[in-house]
Parts: sequence; structure tokens; C-alpha cells
Amino acid sequence: MLKTQELTLNLGPHHPSTHGVFRCVLNLEGEYITKAVNHLGYLHRGIEKLAESRTYTQFIPYNGRLDYVAGMLNEWAYVMAVEKLMGITEEIPERAEYIRVIVGELQRIASHGIYFASMALDVAGASAWFYGFRDRDEVLDLLEMVSGQRLMHNYMRFGGVAADLPDGFMNKLDKLLNKLPAAIEEYEGILLGNEIFRARTVGVAPVSREMALDYGFTGPNLRASGVDTDLRRDEPYSVYDRFKFNVPVRQNGDTFDRVIVRIEEMKESIKIIRQAMEGIPEGPVMAKVPKVIKPPVGEVYSRLENAKGHLGFHIVSDGSTKPYRLRIYSPCFVNIGIFPEMAKGLHLMDAVVALASLDIVLGEIDR
Amino acid sequence: MYGQGLIKGLSITLKHFFERKITQQYPEERPVLPDRFKGSLTLKVPKCIACGLCANSCPNNCIKIESEKDENNKKRLTGYKVMLERCLFCGFCVEACPTKALLWTKDFELTKYFREDVNLDLFSSYVPSPDDEKPAKPAKEDEESAQAS
Amino acid sequence: MQISNTIATGLKDWLMGMGFSATTTEMIATAVWTLAVILFILLNLIVLVWLERKFSAFFQQRRGPNRLGPAGFLQFPVDIVKVLGKEDIIPAAADKPVFRIASITLFITAILAWAVIPLGEGMILEDLNIGIFYFIAIGSTATISLLMGGFASNNKYSLLGGMRTVAQMISYEIPMVFSLLGVIMMVGSLRLSDIVKAQEHMWFIIPQGIAFIIYFIATVAETNRGPFDLAEGEQELVAGYFTEYSGIRYAIWMIAEYGNLVAVSTIASIMFLGGWNAPFGLTFIPPFLWLLIKIYFMIFLFMWVKWTYPRIRIDHLMHFGWKFLIPVSLANILVTGVGIYIYRMITG
Repeated sequence: MLKTQELTLNLGPHHPSTHGVFRCVLNLEGEYITKAVNHLGYLHRGIEKLAESRTYTQFIPYNGRLDYVAGMLNEWAYVMAVEKLMGITEEIPERAEYIRVIVGELQRIASHGIYFASMALDVAGASAWFYGFRDRDEVLDLLEMVSGQRLMHNYMRFGGVAADLPDGFMNKLDKLLNKLPAAIEEYEGILLGNEIFRARTVGVAPVSREMALDYGFTGPNLRASGVDTDLRRDEPYSVYDRFKFNVPVRQNGDTFDRVIVRIEEMKESIKIIRQAMEGIPEGPVMAKVPKVIKPPVGEVYSRLENAKGHLGFHIVSDGSTKPYRLRIYSPCFVNIGIFPEMAKGLHLMDAVVALASLDIVLGEIDR
Repeated sequence: MYGQGLIKGLSITLKHFFERKITQQYPEERPVLPDRFKGSLTLKVPKCIACGLCANSCPNNCIKIESEKDENNKKRLTGYKVMLERCLFCGFCVEACPTKALLWTKDFELTKYFREDVNLDLFSSYVPSPDDEKPAKPAKEDEESAQAS
Repeated sequence: MQISNTIATGLKDWLMGMGFSATTTEMIATAVWTLAVILFILLNLIVLVWLERKFSAFFQQRRGPNRLGPAGFLQFPVDIVKVLGKEDIIPAAADKPVFRIASITLFITAILAWAVIPLGEGMILEDLNIGIFYFIAIGSTATISLLMGGFASNNKYSLLGGMRTVAQMISYEIPMVFSLLGVIMMVGSLRLSDIVKAQEHMWFIIPQGIAFIIYFIATVAETNRGPFDLAEGEQELVAGYFTEYSGIRYAIWMIAEYGNLVAVSTIASIMFLGGWNAPFGLTFIPPFLWLLIKIYFMIFLFMWVKWTYPRIRIDHLMHFGWKFLIPVSLANILVTGVGIYIYRMITG
């Protein structure tokens, strides 16, 4: 007797478009997904546990290994948490805060650039992929000037930043900011305005407002679903309350909106950097902090708006030089939780694109 | 109109087709690296006072320092090994160095054929240069200014 | 073509002079010509792979291969040598005989199609009176090789790729044939040399512009190139039907695909771009070179499209094929038929 059977497809852990070592077991009816199960942990390095055996300062470089395409923002989030624990948030020199904003927003542009590029590759637009990486590379050149490394910066310190901006940085930054809008326009021309791309993304894998909130979405993914929220504006940390910028919000929450929100955010980041360049004061870049960091006993939770969403650090201190417990609230981990729900009923080709649109970085999911 | 985006895309790729290419021809064309670039490490041995701050600051304990006390009861460096295979390239050791003896180089081509070659022995590979022959003395001012800034 | 004709007749005369019978002479001449065609395809292949790499690089602001040989031209021959030295891996659970012959059958169909394709006046292996029909018939058998490869690999990705191929190629076969029908109606012959002769004064791209576009789109799908490379679909299917192939077997897939690409480009140049007829009376360039220029223009178009567009989804592909291309191509045939009727009425 003839009968049909569902096909179980093991997508990953090594597969061209799982963005690292994400594994997903799919049940396929034809090429439509009936069930998807996430399997995580292939990139688990025990970073939270490592923190317990490192001093507070020594843990800073490990943050670049979490979300390795937005290392600067991760360091910032961690440094902010420890500063809050030590109670020195107010003492940070203004110039340091401005530098943090500049490098942080540059990192956001780089992260969204790689998002656009990988999105392009997942719909097989290889040329658009190269254009995305081309511009991201120039942003990384600037970050390399500042910190000496392209990805794992280790630039933030408790009470400021490791070093002042190098000579000639502002000129280069200005040049880059003049170039970026044209590059973004090019992205829109080659991919976002393309009818094939629109057919592939508009209305695909929609996440409603309620669903997004239920699953605990944060950041651009939540904004794509119509929730107007941005930590930079809603609970301004650092000096974000001095800048004027829009928070792009889209209503449909489909794959296309998730891309567009990020592209719009790149434009807003350019605006923020421009304002920071104008307002940056002279002065020191480090507050007076003791050489040995010994925060008082207590615990703290602090979060900031990462390129992917809210990145939170929960640190418990027992008064020694090492954290008693460090817990990372990772936006990617939360975002990927919706994938099994989202993939149900999707075509295999769309599922890959929808996965890319969530902007997952496995380094942060598995930690 | 339907198809406008398709034509726009074609025009963009065609524009780049005739454009100057941006690939860097790497082995011939050397990358221009910023001053802060973190490549390999180098140690100005005469400047080193074997204080061990670098080893202490290292998150992964990559640095092994050997020293002995000389007749004036002063520490003298006899060995300095960096396990580069475990190095995070975070730069805490360079920042911690009170005499600026440990420095980054711009050498980024760290590939080696054998695993043991990856690790650095900065003491025995040191090539003396006249600039380094100044007496080793902890630069107190530097330390203070680093704290203040 | 005169040169090749001279060579061919010279060869025949020489063989006759050696005392061979007419049949043997004919057979040897055919064998030589077949070898020449295969050589032509393989030479084209080297150029094509090089061009694909260079063009894709240029579209992406890169330089492309530039180390081996002048402008990286020798990269592909060296790659072939490398691939020949690779271990031939056949998965344990694969259907081994089918797995082995799948790539070879595709290669054979790619070669067979060349039997009727003229490269110049008289430069043809067999000027069949049903030439274009033969080409279409041979071309559609390629589907079965891809399905064989996908099925025999015993890999889920390959199987999905194979299934996609069948759906896609069968759907796009129809608009392709219909788009060619308009030209055939205007000429009144299926013989490719007749079709070229009919274009001495006007290329068929002018009266049959829509057919040309339909043919172009359909052949992009037929040759599994982007944006219709669903059968490979490396983002979701890893490499589609040849996921499990490695070494020289993989190379044969690639060779066959590029062979198909040259074949459909040649057919496009012959059917729509006037074959070896020189435009604007520029006859100082030999006809064979004119055909080559046209073929490579077509190939440039294929590559341009591939390296610009993202991949289309399979259901959109089906919708586009069945609900748009087929009605339009049918309408094109109708308009052509009415046009021919009116033309005959006027001219009597």
C-alpha cells in the first residue's frame, strides 16, 4: 500500500545558512515545514562560568566573544553593569561617554551591515552580500584604529575607555559617514527594492505584536512587530538623552519589516554619530578607579540596547575581585525561541530566510 | 511599475562591473595598520623589571616569567614565555607594563607549521637595540598619569 | 566556414586517396568532427569558468582569480587536475549504479545536443531537417539525469533538489518550446541552417522580441542558473542534487552544466540573433567569430542576471511559468500566426 510519510530533515549543525552551529530538526511535508525543533549548545564555551574564575577586569575581553559581530556593545553592557555595581556611573568623564556612543553606534552599523549581507546571501543575492561586507569592513577599519582589533576590541574599561580617540579618527569617521548613505541607497536598489526579494519576504513568517511580546522579543525584531520601544530613548543610559533620533517602527512583523527596521536604524545611527561628533567635549577618558576592582557586596542588573535587542548582565558580587555569579540575558537566545513556532507551515526556502531575519549570532545564544 | 527594482539592480551591478576593484592584493600590497594594532608581542628585555604585572593581568595565564635575584637583591629576568596559542590578544599585559617593556608589534602573520612554534619566547628571541639600553626603572609618573586619566 | 569546409573536404579526399570506401571515409570524417565539437565545448568550458569567476568578481568589486596564468586563466585547468586527484567518494547507502551514471548521462545529453548546432555555414555535424526539434528533445532528457543524481545519492537534500528540478524543468520546457515556435513558423523549417539563412536581412529578435525574452527566462530555468537555481539552492539544500558528489564526478556535473549553457546560448544566437550573419555589413569579421561574439554576449547576459538577483521561491517560479510565461508565449504564437497570414495576404 502506498502512503506518504513526513520527511525529517536535520538542518545543521553544519549547514550553509544556520549562521554558525545552530541545529534544527525539521519535519517536512513536501517542502513545507510541519514541525521544527531547536537544538542549541554546539558553541557552548561556558563563558558565564569562566567569569567566576576571572577578575572583573579580566572578563572584559570575553564579551567580544559573545556576540562576535557587535563586540563593542557587549563590552559596553558588561562595563555598564559593573560600573552600576561599583556606583561610579556618575563619575565617568563625559568624553568617555561620547566615545562610547560613537564606537557603539559604529558597531551597530557594522552589525546591521553584516545582517543585511547575510540576509542577502540567504536569498542567494551574492553581489549584495559583498556590498554589505564592503561597507562593514570600512566601519571595522575605524574600530581597529580605536581599539587595535577588528572584532574582539577590549576597548571599554570601568570608568571610561582604554584610550582616547587616535589622531585623524574624526576625519576618517566624517568621510565614512558621508559615504554610508549612498551605500545604504545601494542596498535598497540591489536587494530591498527588488521584486524577487519582496516576493520572498513580504508577508513571510509574520510575528504579530502579541506573539512578539509573549516570546519576549526585544530590539529591532520587536520594533518590526509594531512595538515602539528602544532603551536608548525610553531609559536613556550614557548620554543618549542628548541626541535626537527616531525609533523606526514597522507594523507587519514579517521578514521584510525586520530587514527594513535595521536598515532604517543604520540611518539613525549615522545621525547619532554626527550629533556626538559635534558635541564631544575635551577632557579625560578615564574616571579615577582603583587598580583592583572590588565592588561592594550586592547584585546588579543592567541592560542596554544591543544591535540585536536588550543585552542584560546580572552580576552578583561577594565583595571579592571576582564575580560570584554572572548571568547574561542574551537577546539572540530569546529571539531564536520563536523559530519553531515561526517555521510551522513555511516553505523550507522561506524558513532559512526567516531564520536569517531574526539576526541570530550563535556565540551569544550558546555563550 | 513591476520590474523597476529588477532593472535598478541590473544597473547597479553593471556600474560596479566597470568600476575600479577594491580587493587588496595582499602579499604584494601590505595592509596599512593603525598604530594601536595588536599583532604579535615584543619585549624590550633591558627595560623589563620582572615585576610580573603582565602575568597577573592575563585572563588566561599565558605569560610565564622566570627571574632570579642578583647580588643587590634586584630581580633580573631570565625567561619570558608567552603561550600565544591561548592568547586572547586583549592587551591587558601591554597596558599593565609599568616600564613599557612589553609592546605590540604590527606583525600579524602568526601562522606556523608546528604548534610549538606558535608560542613566543620573548627573552631568548630578543635582539638588542641601542634604544633599549636605558636603565630599567619603573616610570612612576607614567603609572600615576595612567591612573589619573 | 570556408576553411573548415576545405579541411573537411580535404580530409575526405585524402582518405579516399588512401583507398578507403566512401562509407568509411564518411565515418572517419564524422568522428573527427565529433572530436572537434567536444574539443570546442571543453575549450569553451575553460573560458566559461574563467569568465564566470571573473564576471562575478567584477560585479562584486573584486578582482577574481589572478594568480595562475595571465589574469588567472589557468585556474580552472589546475582545478581540474586537483579534482582528478581527489578520492572518489560514493556514499554507502547510495544506489551505486545510478549514482555512477547520473552525472555521465547529463554530460552525454550536453554533448548530444551539439550534433545539430551549427557553428558556421556548413560547420555542423548533421544538418537534420528537424534540428531544433532534436535539440529540444535531447535537452529535456537532462531532467532525468538530475533526478537520478538526486535520488541515487540517498540524501534528503539531494532528493529535494531532484524533485525541484523535475518540477521546474518540466514547467519551463513548455514556454521555451512555444517561444521557439514563433521563429519556426516564420521560417517554415526546423532546420537550423535554414533558420539562419532566413535572418540575412532581419534578425528574429525584432519581430520576436517577446519570444526572445521568454526564451531567455525559460532557459535560465532550464540550465539551473540563478535566479532559478532552485535545484542547487545552496542556502537551504546545501548543493541540491550533487550534494554527495565529489571529485571528478562533481566536475562532470559542472562541465555538463556549462556545456548546456553554451548550447542554449548558441541556440539563442542562432534563433534570434541572426546566427553567423554579420550585422551592419561588418563582414570583415569571419562568420564563425560573429557567432562566438553573439554566444558570449548571451553568456554575459546569463551571468549578469545570475549575479544580480536573489533566488526565486519555488511556488512563485511555478506561478510565473504556468500563469504568465505560457499564456504570453501562446499569445505570441497567435500574433505571429495572424501576422504571417496578413503578410501573405498582402504579398499575395
